[in-house]
Amino acid sequence: MIEYDEREKRMVVKLVYYGPAQSGKTTNLLQLHERLPRQGRGDLMVLDTTDDRTIFFDLLPFFLTAPSGLKVKVKVYTVPGQVKHDATRKAVLQRADGVVFVADSQKREAANNLASFENLEENLALVGLDIDRLPLVVQFNKRDLADIVAEEAIRRTWGATRIPVLLASALQGQGVEETFERLLLSVYDSLDVRCRLGEAHGLTRDAFVAQLTAREGI
Amino acid sequence: MNDGSLNYIVGEERRLADLLGEKEMRPLLQGAVAAGAARAALLDDAGEVLWAEGAGGGCTAAMPLCLEGEPVGTLQVAGEEAARDRLAGTVRFLHAAVSALVTANLKRMLTVETHTSVVNLTYDELLETNRRLAASEREYRELAEQLELRVAERTEELRRAHARLLQQEKMASVGQLAAGIAHEVNNPLGFITSNLTTLGRYVSRLMEMLDWHGAAIAADPELSARAAVRGRELKLDLIRGDMGELLSQSLAGAERVKKIVADLRGFSHIDDPVEGLVELNGELERTLEVMARQIPPGTEVRRRFGTIPLVRGNAALLCQLFAGIVQNAIQARAEGLVLEIRTEETDGRVRVAIGDNGPGIPPDLRSRVFDPFFTTRSVGDGTGMGLTVAYDIVTAMGGAIEAGEAAGGGALITVALPPAE
Repeated sequence: MIEYDEREKRMVVKLVYYGPAQSGKTTNLLQLHERLPRQGRGDLMVLDTTDDRTIFFDLLPFFLTAPSGLKVKVKVYTVPGQVKHDATRKAVLQRADGVVFVADSQKREAANNLASFENLEENLALVGLDIDRLPLVVQFNKRDLADIVAEEAIRRTWGATRIPVLLASALQGQGVEETFERLLLSVYDSLDVRCRLGEAHGLTRDAFVAQLTAREGI
Repeated sequence: MNDGSLNYIVGEERRLADLLGEKEMRPLLQGAVAAGAARAALLDDAGEVLWAEGAGGGCTAAMPLCLEGEPVGTLQVAGEEAARDRLAGTVRFLHAAVSALVTANLKRMLTVETHTSVVNLTYDELLETNRRLAASEREYRELAEQLELRVAERTEELRRAHARLLQQEKMASVGQLAAGIAHEVNNPLGFITSNLTTLGRYVSRLMEMLDWHGAAIAADPELSARAAVRGRELKLDLIRGDMGELLSQSLAGAERVKKIVADLRGFSHIDDPVEGLVELNGELERTLEVMARQIPPGTEVRRRFGTIPLVRGNAALLCQLFAGIVQNAIQARAEGLVLEIRTEETDGRVRVAIGDNGPGIPPDLRSRVFDPFFTTRSVGDGTGMGLTVAYDIVTAMGGAIEAGEAAGGGALITVALPPAE
């Protein structure tokens, strides 16, 4: 967590979209920005890119206020996927409260997915985060393309890990909100344990997710 | 991984004052005043004035300023009531400008900070990588150096072992030869000596009989005269005089052959146990005797034998050792050789020093003379084994051997051995 000040009633949460180069991390954020109502979120900030490839990161902030008056700001980041930007990935990954791993469904990207996931494991360990406890969601993106890994194969591979796996076509806007929501559910549980969101702040899991995705909830 | 290099965290919250500066804000607020506002100001989220230009104004137009979607301050433009519409337009214009400035500055700040942290982190990692590489290079270099050293050591050992083996084989064949010769020579020598002695006895009897015959025919002068003539023809007087000497010389020769064989046997120590108590003075004497015919005539051998304790070791090898050193001395100088052999006990060591008056060993070669196959002689003259074998024999006995300079500038080889307990 970036910040938690009980007296100031302020909490800043960090979520990170991780994954191999050009798997659609920024597209996920663009779609969230486009599809979620303006209320409850800020503008998408895209830092300098080269040839449409993220070299720093993107940021999309979300806000909610708990019944207790606790102001929660959720900052959603993407990391640069290219191998050479590993140092930036580490800096972005620092103190993350949840991670979406965006994998590229195309068969030829299998090796890159694996390398990037191993890199995630490595960097999580480096920045002192426990991959077994950190809220983590895997999104298999680009389901609209040809020559992709079969869903069955994905389920078979990831079934044993108990990491939630979602399918998406980010460019078409499919599966993007679902992925975000799925992560928020896990993040709420994790935050609830640490900061008693429900008990001390009257913030339920449903309200948390609904407010951040600006759906009718409370 | 250095923890310090990861202390930059993307996502830390910014305040408005961090993102805007006097130099940027002042002209914008002045612009608003120039556009007709009486006063233009930027307030932070607590309502405190951060920057303000101008004064007065009864009517106020304001717009909230957002950072990452959150309101972090307020832009206020005040003026006359009549200019309300213009004030609203001015504040919207000012808001657009400041918002763009805030966003641009935030991006620039994030970019610069990330870039700096990445550069630092990368640099730290490079330093660490460099350190590890240097360390591993050092390890490999040490390993390589040690390897060379080990190879050199092993090669040296092998050369020595090879030299020792050659010498032992040589010694074994010398010993076997000596034993064979002793056996073959001693038998005929036995009956030669015995027969010569018997022959001497027979000859004296014959002489006695000759004398008797001479006395018996003395009564007959004619016969006597004829016998005397015959005797002169046969040179009997000469024979009688020579006979004894002939026999005693032959016997002496046979005795000498017997002694040589015995010395050879002793020198090779074919009959001795491999290791035992050795009296060095005796072995030196024995060595000199065996080498007597190799030592050139006119050589002066100075024996400076002291009273020394016994040493424990292989007598045959020690004889071989001394013979090798003496051989070197003989080869160092053909005429007028002075060989000085000194034995003494000093500092709890039995020392044998063999010096000559040859050209000596140059100081830079003294450490190398014990190396296998090192020789100063032309190919074929020396094997380069003598001192190597000597070195091995002495070190195996727990002693030391060194090459130095004799009083007259010749070579001096000193062997120091521990006395037997």
